[in-house]
Amino acid sequence: MFVRWMVVLVVCCALPWSAMAATEIEISAPGEQSIPLALTQFLPDQGPQATRVAAEINEVLEADLDLSGLFRFVDPAAFLDDAWRISLLSNQVNFPQWRMLGTETLIKGTYSLAGQQLVVEARLFDVVNRRLLTGRRYVGEVKDVRHMAHAFADLVLEALTGEEGPFSARIAYISNQTSHPELWLMDVDGKRPIRLTNHRSIVLNPDFSPRGKEILFTSYRANNPDLYRKEIYSGKEARLSYKPGLNVAGRMAPNEREIALTLSKDGNPEIYLVDISGRVLKRITDNWGIDSDPSWSPDGSRIAFVSNRQGNPHIFIGDIFTGKAERLTTQGKYNATPAWSPKGNRIAFSRQEGGRFDIYTIKTDGSDERRLTFGPGNSEHPRWSPDGRFIVYSLDKSGNRAIYVMRADGTGSRRLTTLESDCRHPAWSARW
Amino acid sequence: MSVVPLQTNNAFHQDPKFGRLLLLSLIVHALVWVALSGGWFGSGQRPKPPVYYVDLIHKPVLNPQAGRPEPRPVSKPKPEPVKNTAATPIPAKEPAKPVVKTPPKPPEAVIPKPAPKPAVKPAAKPAPKPAVEPDRRTEQKLQSALDEIRQRQTREAERDALKERLAKLRESVSAAATVPADVPIGMPDGQGDEVGVSALAFVQAFIQENWVLSPYLLDQSRIANIEAKATLAYSASGKLVRFRINTPSGNQQFDDSLKRAITKSDQLPQALPKDLELVVTFNLKDIAAARR
Repeated sequence: MFVRWMVVLVVCCALPWSAMAATEIEISAPGEQSIPLALTQFLPDQGPQATRVAAEINEVLEADLDLSGLFRFVDPAAFLDDAWRISLLSNQVNFPQWRMLGTETLIKGTYSLAGQQLVVEARLFDVVNRRLLTGRRYVGEVKDVRHMAHAFADLVLEALTGEEGPFSARIAYISNQTSHPELWLMDVDGKRPIRLTNHRSIVLNPDFSPRGKEILFTSYRANNPDLYRKEIYSGKEARLSYKPGLNVAGRMAPNEREIALTLSKDGNPEIYLVDISGRVLKRITDNWGIDSDPSWSPDGSRIAFVSNRQGNPHIFIGDIFTGKAERLTTQGKYNATPAWSPKGNRIAFSRQEGGRFDIYTIKTDGSDERRLTFGPGNSEHPRWSPDGRFIVYSLDKSGNRAIYVMRADGTGSRRLTTLESDCRHPAWSARW
Repeated sequence: MSVVPLQTNNAFHQDPKFGRLLLLSLIVHALVWVALSGGWFGSGQRPKPPVYYVDLIHKPVLNPQAGRPEPRPVSKPKPEPVKNTAATPIPAKEPAKPVVKTPPKPPEAVIPKPAPKPAVKPAAKPAPKPAVEPDRRTEQKLQSALDEIRQRQTREAERDALKERLAKLRESVSAAATVPADVPIGMPDGQGDEVGVSALAFVQAFIQENWVLSPYLLDQSRIANIEAKATLAYSASGKLVRFRINTPSGNQQFDDSLKRAITKSDQLPQALPKDLELVVTFNLKDIAAARR
């Protein structure tokens, strides 16, 4: 009898549970792949109103965040009165008003101007959860306003992705604006270009040290392609390697103690390892073909380079310690300028097909090759941003060669240099 | 001796006021009827109460019937052929114009084209060196032949894949075009007998619509494998009663995006047939498949 009652009791208890049993569903893609962002105009907190400052902050933020591919900007014409209120604390922001506009993230900020001193306060809010995601106070001069905005764009990416953006870095490139190819430096949006060398000769192939404090480049200043090193802040310059023949394509190792470069002192261009004073430490390649354009793996154990040892120029991966090299690319008649991604998983390079160069990326095991550029012109000299999200390269689409940037998947390409002169060989520094 | 009248059972005869009361009642009833029928308080032209047509065809149900979940396709009226009623008059032949001969152009001066400037490249790219030994040459030839074969194979594979995708597209387009308009509202795989769409599909679509996540937020190599599970409980009124992330993905950005999506889905636009508890698996399989 007791057992029967127990059974009845269990069935009665189980009935509501079975009625409420959780059903499983799967959602295998988000409904929207870009985060709605409301970017309000920065408002004057104290001091005079400087429309130019506010406009410049917004211009830089919008360009940087748009390039990231993460966001969809909410039309400022739809903004309501909260957009014109100074509210830097989450309890001051009218979140329901922003939620009504369909945005999920919100950037608000203020600036104060006293003479030439500028203070910018910027905040990123999560509209849905009504909380502050990140914020920063920047103090500097009016001329630093673009750098402040780039730095905040980096911070926005860090708050949303967990990894800082590369916008406060710089891009070095070669331009013949002064009738000679010289080394130049610009912001990642192509603004504020400054000339770094005045060799009145041929300067080519720049590369930053991993920490971004120095630049290696080759110059014909002494009538031979020699390798130079330049400190960016002090402007000090030294001729590092000046062996007879080529001293080109110098790339500093991640540990900043060794440099891989191509030397032809023995007749045939080969890749060597030299120390930071230019003393040869080791010969890495040794065969009848031409070996050039080394690019370090992030862990510093391997290099990708170009070699024609098996016929056409192809990308190879060589071990620094054993010297053993394996061929990476199998397609195309001319593969050049490899650049190992900072994440270590892909290598970007340019390939000539159908009479013109395009940018490709490939996994380090030789699989998953992807073409990134299409259309007219030669796309060459790809180099990664320090976070591996973007690729900067040169393209001669409109007559003269210019520097372009795109996302690592080939989308969002845009021109950076607007000069009439030729610009080539870009290199993206570490964050400054 | 007095005579006592005999008592009868007839109340009518018993109470002499009864007849009057009955008459009064009839009059009052008649007046009420007149008043309500509009004869007293106003004319019969009172505004008609509005009629609401409620479309319940997309009501979320538990056991939807077989059919189509989308709204009934609106058939576009075919444009009527324009009848050419007015006869076009035949234009009269114009008199032939005299042909005026233009004098021949003087020969243009031939401008010599400037000779192409030799492109001077500062640094020569590594050019393939001619092989010295004969076996190297053979190896080179073999290599180039192999390269060509690989290229051809890749091209053929790409062409086949393209053809396959085209065929699938055509198939889906033709299938969509052949859906008859009179198919009932339900779900394509519905096996129940209720008119409406599946409540699960309805909730799934609503949460998905509110889920915003850029693939650029994530490490691209993780897109194929990232996954999180959450339990959501909705009341029958469509209100989110509680939720919990059971199995986080391990990626903060991904998990944050889920929390935002669930918070945004705290009230469904329509009521549910009953309380619903769901275990939702969030992943990016579709994006990973599209990139393959």
